[in-house]
Amino acid sequence: MTVKSKLREIVGPDNFSDDPEVLDKYSKDFSLVPAGVPNYLVKPKTAQEVQKIIQLANKNRLPVVPTSSSVHFNGAAIPKQGGVIADLTRMNRILEIDEFNRRVRMEVGVTWEKATRELAKKGFRLMMPLAPHPMRSAVIDHLEREVITNTVYDYGEPMQSMEVVWPTGEIFRTGSASVAGYPDSPSKGANPSGPGLDFYRLLQGAQGTMGIVTWANLKIEYLPTIDKVLFAPVDDLDYTTDFLHRILKLRIGQECLLLDNTDLAALAAENWPDDFEELRATLPPWTLILVISGMARRPEEKLQYEENMLKDIIKNEFSEIQLDNNLPGFPGMGRKLITVLRQPWPKKTPYWKHRYLGGCQSIFFITRPGMAPQFTDMMEEVAAQYGYPVDDIGGYIQPIEHNRACQMQFDIFYDPDSEVDVELVRSLYRDAISVLASQGALFTRPYGELADLVYESATGYATALRRVKKVFDPNNIMNPGTLCY
Amino acid sequence: MLKGKVSLDVTNLDNFEYDMSKCIKCKGCYWVDHIYMPGVNFSTRCPSATRYVFDSYGAYGKMRIGLAMLEGRMEYSDELLKTLYACTLCGACDVGCKRNLDLEIELSLEALRIKAVKDGKGPMPAHKKAAKKITEKHNRFGSPHEKRNKWLTKDIKVAKKADVLYFVGCSAAYTNPEIAKATAKILNAAGTPFMLMPDEWCCGNMLYSVGMIDEARELAKRNLEAVRKSGAKTLLVSCAEGYRTWKVDYPKMLNISTDDLGFKVVHLTELVDELIKKEELKLTRPIDMRLTYHDSCSLSRLSDPWTPWKGERGKWGMVSPGLERRRGTGGVYQPPRDILKAIPGVELVEMIRMKENAFCCGAGRGTIEAFPDFAAWAAEQRLFEAKTVGAEAIVATCPWCKDNFARVARQNGEDLKIYDISELILASIEG
Amino acid sequence: MAISKEAYKVLEAIVGEEYISSDPVVCEGYRSGPSGYEAGLGYERVMTKIPGGVILPLTTEEVQKIVRVCNRYKVPYVPYSTGWYGPRSHCHVDDELLIDLKRMDDFEIDERHLYAVVGSGVIYSQLQEEAMKRGCYIIVGGGGSQCSAIANMLGDGWSPLSYRIGLPHRRILGTELVLPDGELVKMGSLALQDDPFWGEGLGPDLRGLLRGFTGLRGCLGIVTKMAIKLLPFQPERLTPTGISPHTALELPSNRVKWINFTMPSKESMKKAMFEMARAEIGAGATKVPIFWRAIAKASCKEEYWDIWSKESEETISGFHLLRVLLVGFGSEEQMEYEERVLNDIITEIGGEARRTRPTDESWFKNADSAGMWLMCGGYVSVDYVIETLEHALPHGENYAKLKRKFTPPLMPDYGDPGWFQSFELGHQGYSEFLVYWDPDENTDGVDHFYLETSKENIRKRFYTSLLGPHQPLYLTGPAYGPNYHKWMLAVKDEFDPNFLSHPPVPLAHDEFVEKAAWMRPMKDWKSPKLP
Repeated sequence: MTVKSKLREIVGPDNFSDDPEVLDKYSKDFSLVPAGVPNYLVKPKTAQEVQKIIQLANKNRLPVVPTSSSVHFNGAAIPKQGGVIADLTRMNRILEIDEFNRRVRMEVGVTWEKATRELAKKGFRLMMPLAPHPMRSAVIDHLEREVITNTVYDYGEPMQSMEVVWPTGEIFRTGSASVAGYPDSPSKGANPSGPGLDFYRLLQGAQGTMGIVTWANLKIEYLPTIDKVLFAPVDDLDYTTDFLHRILKLRIGQECLLLDNTDLAALAAENWPDDFEELRATLPPWTLILVISGMARRPEEKLQYEENMLKDIIKNEFSEIQLDNNLPGFPGMGRKLITVLRQPWPKKTPYWKHRYLGGCQSIFFITRPGMAPQFTDMMEEVAAQYGYPVDDIGGYIQPIEHNRACQMQFDIFYDPDSEVDVELVRSLYRDAISVLASQGALFTRPYGELADLVYESATGYATALRRVKKVFDPNNIMNPGTLCY
Repeated sequence: MLKGKVSLDVTNLDNFEYDMSKCIKCKGCYWVDHIYMPGVNFSTRCPSATRYVFDSYGAYGKMRIGLAMLEGRMEYSDELLKTLYACTLCGACDVGCKRNLDLEIELSLEALRIKAVKDGKGPMPAHKKAAKKITEKHNRFGSPHEKRNKWLTKDIKVAKKADVLYFVGCSAAYTNPEIAKATAKILNAAGTPFMLMPDEWCCGNMLYSVGMIDEARELAKRNLEAVRKSGAKTLLVSCAEGYRTWKVDYPKMLNISTDDLGFKVVHLTELVDELIKKEELKLTRPIDMRLTYHDSCSLSRLSDPWTPWKGERGKWGMVSPGLERRRGTGGVYQPPRDILKAIPGVELVEMIRMKENAFCCGAGRGTIEAFPDFAAWAAEQRLFEAKTVGAEAIVATCPWCKDNFARVARQNGEDLKIYDISELILASIEG
Repeated sequence: MAISKEAYKVLEAIVGEEYISSDPVVCEGYRSGPSGYEAGLGYERVMTKIPGGVILPLTTEEVQKIVRVCNRYKVPYVPYSTGWYGPRSHCHVDDELLIDLKRMDDFEIDERHLYAVVGSGVIYSQLQEEAMKRGCYIIVGGGGSQCSAIANMLGDGWSPLSYRIGLPHRRILGTELVLPDGELVKMGSLALQDDPFWGEGLGPDLRGLLRGFTGLRGCLGIVTKMAIKLLPFQPERLTPTGISPHTALELPSNRVKWINFTMPSKESMKKAMFEMARAEIGAGATKVPIFWRAIAKASCKEEYWDIWSKESEETISGFHLLRVLLVGFGSEEQMEYEERVLNDIITEIGGEARRTRPTDESWFKNADSAGMWLMCGGYVSVDYVIETLEHALPHGENYAKLKRKFTPPLMPDYGDPGWFQSFELGHQGYSEFLVYWDPDENTDGVDHFYLETSKENIRKRFYTSLLGPHQPLYLTGPAYGPNYHKWMLAVKDEFDPNFLSHPPVPLAHDEFVEKAAWMRPMKDWKSPKLP
């Protein structure tokens, strides 16, 4: 039997393809990562099928590239050395919504759109990054450590236990899902850690190189009872950063983020392109968005004390902050944004990053909030060197955990159909990441060519990673050519 | 003895087998009480473990070593003797352990030294030299015995008979006469008549502390009889080490309780505090100084009165009859502070490690004799702490503390002033 | 016992002669038992030895050099921060080098960015005080204030305060790990820059090698430096008061308050915790085991037993005390709001507030953890599990039943089904079982109980802390994952091919069962011949 026939046998002929037209779709994505063609496509439905695919791949030294979403922005699922695409979008069941323990267990193929909809029916939500694509895998976005817009929950990440098929072909459950017979057990899978090692950490940020996750438990939160969206125009990022250091330590608010005029316009504009241009031209350079909410009990009282805290602090310490429940000149912005913040991007609308010019290369990294103005300046300098209009750069600052750190994101919009644009942005990107990294930008999620940049500077870390990888993937079949492998 | 008959008799190490075997290595004996933990600096209260670093120098190490000695698994060596003796027996370990566990750490350490002496291996050579001086000249310095009262000046009134007997002690008599003088003058100024011992000998603090219990006991008997004979109702001391020796170690050695001594043992600060509160003594002259107070170990955490005890230990380690443990709670912490606050012009600033968390000066209970470097080091730590809190002066209630601090301050060219509390009290009375 | 002369000489040159010793007196001071956490039991008696030598490095570089020398001369070693964890943190083989890390007590703090950087010698109460001085706080793990912060963050790190601020895994930021072969791995932002503020990996997160659920006891390397996340607290001071032994932190009642509630049933406590979590109020929510109240009231061991002996199954089964912590993180008004909500919940459920002391000995400084040994002289937390409340309660009941069979030698607890709490605003629940025994009586039953607990967890599909080095790896391994042990051993083999880092961990408990005559009959699982 050939590899092809064996694969067909595992997933069924309807879920297999080696049609070049079909494979071509998997050879590229919305990123600038060069195309890479797979040899086969399979769409398994169960962990057992995944297991067999991996076992076969090991026998034949065939790379396996897992993907769980139908859209990709970072190039992680583009095969670098051919092989089999294991497309898990058919594994899209929400397996449990555990109301008592505020947990959802779902397969990796569940999209943000589905997850948000189903959870909302029961009054829950999943912590979300900013306006994710509705067809992205919610589990994978969390596995890849997408930064969420909500800063208030001290316990941090939503990831709990998960099921993985190791690169050697074993099916394994991490954390407290590791008990025999799970989920038919008193254990609900709420503890991410162990057994023995913290396997979940090795799978996070791994871009599919350490195994194929099939389902995961994630923490869910209640939908607030009432919300108030507050805005403050921002001229002085330093001043606003100080303000955020002050208020976020008090555990005020739910979502809290800073958007520059371009990104906010791209998110908020309805009638395209007129609204976008107008918004972009008239919005303040940056806008602080802070959502305060009342929860299950005495919600108005909660809102009240948070508002009082904000009032006092602004009055006594930060008189230049003009925080209000509407953005002057932009009526209805609150209503618009609460939808943006609580829902994935609507399916029917072109994705906000693509609305302007069709393409967008995001640069995102972790840093101390106080560094934001410097990094902004650096980004603008690099853009200027390439003649890229500074006004076209979208900016997004996401405070993390009481503003002890933040994720900075620069969105570089371009026309993907213009070869000139693509090449310009590719060079600009390369230079920008190099400059930013040299000044301390922490690229913890090294996609594409970022990987070379990062691991060349972190050789000790890369060496240790390779040693761990050798243990789990001795034949180096899982998404080879990615990260430092 | 883990179960069965047990007593607090330090001459038999077996009595402390339970305590030594139950140390859990929590290091409550080493760290400042966690409730009072000041942060990453000034966080320990065991000078030995802080200085010598290896676990063997903390009580957690010594309890294990002691158990090995009891079980015959440990041979004597220089290192063993250093482990047993490079320690001021300051009681921080005992109090620290008893915050949660009630193990008799201090008594175990005393019993280990007594065993070392009994086995013919201890104490340190320097202790033997000092012991010889005590035997021959009745003072630990080997100075002429007849010069013991040289500190007395003509302006001091000494009664032939009085309720109060002032026991001066070797240090105040010979090396720190300013303390003896000040104490005597305070008593005069307060209208409290006092007498002296007709023939004052060393209290035997060092002898007991290093494990020479037989010699110490003989001295105790002699001294006790002398005091009883004098008819004194109160034995007054201005030395913390002497305070502890009389109040705690004498009854311990003689298997009686503190109450059975037949007189009260009172430190100058206890008396003066009482007099001030009764308005029988007024401190009127200002002393313009920002000073800090050093809790001398033997006046504070080591000074709970002694009651002999024997009984049985049974299931779960419970003892019967009931035993009121000495945990340092009743130490003389507040009176010296109240006195200092009563002096006009004084700004009292506390050490970071205070009261039962105080860091020992390093001198006491045989340490300065055998390990002068260690004693100097400990004093340095404490002086540094005093400067850290911005004090111009450090005040103690013991000539051993004062002497050690003063020597180190001098050697290091420190401008921190070192006082005994008696000097400040007197200055505030007389000017 | 001796470490080879050649090795000793080289080691001495690394740290200086003042900081290394093979003197028998010094080594005896590092004996594990006979008392301590989990001490006075068979494992401690059979598996631990005093070191062949003790060395005290000051820097990460020195630790690396030491480890490399050990690899060169095949000297087994164990890292040791305080020795508080008990026998599992002490030497297990002859001629072993104990690497005492207490001198590595560097400390930095960045209050704006909410982290502190510590060496292995820094303990929790130091870190907590430094944090509190700056309006922040940390969790002092159940082991107490005296734990090395790093060591506890690697093997434990939770307390009732985890209700609000969660698991320690996310509070480990930039970290330095000396691998068993002497290579240094810097994790988090330290991998790229001299700034430890961020913990996540560059891509896959190698913090996965640090701990697992309940720690690796140093068998996969030595952490020499760790940045630990601080959490914002409130501005008022918690004032230390009292003289030993009655010391406690006085709480500023307008901002920090513990409240005890008597509840009608265990289920009602679970419900209260659920409602609190749903309302997203509170900073701590825990059931109080009744014998802790006896400890708190008693002034000595004898008085404890006097109080405890008056309890019975009836009194225990009718005693349900919920202890809630409120903190006005943001303002007094916020605390007042939370108290109103809490009262709403308690009233609905039928509970009643009791007079509660406005002081804290646990959990901010957790100064009284050593008191766990007061009652009997022996103590261990047999199982401590983070899962859900729905796991915690049946786990407790099951455990209480099992425990009866082993009482005596365990201290009678009249069927108390353990201690449980809510973690991470109700996303998790926690159960812990503390057991006590008289170490001067026959303790074989306690050893059996431990292993039986492990087997029962497997049978009943409970998650457990008894993983990795805690119980036989070849027993738990196949049952969890399954086969997590294969990965652990493979990773161990990759990074410690000479098996020098704390041998024979993680197979130490397997070896114990083989070596101890009273344990061997309990072995009913397969294992290969142990190395």
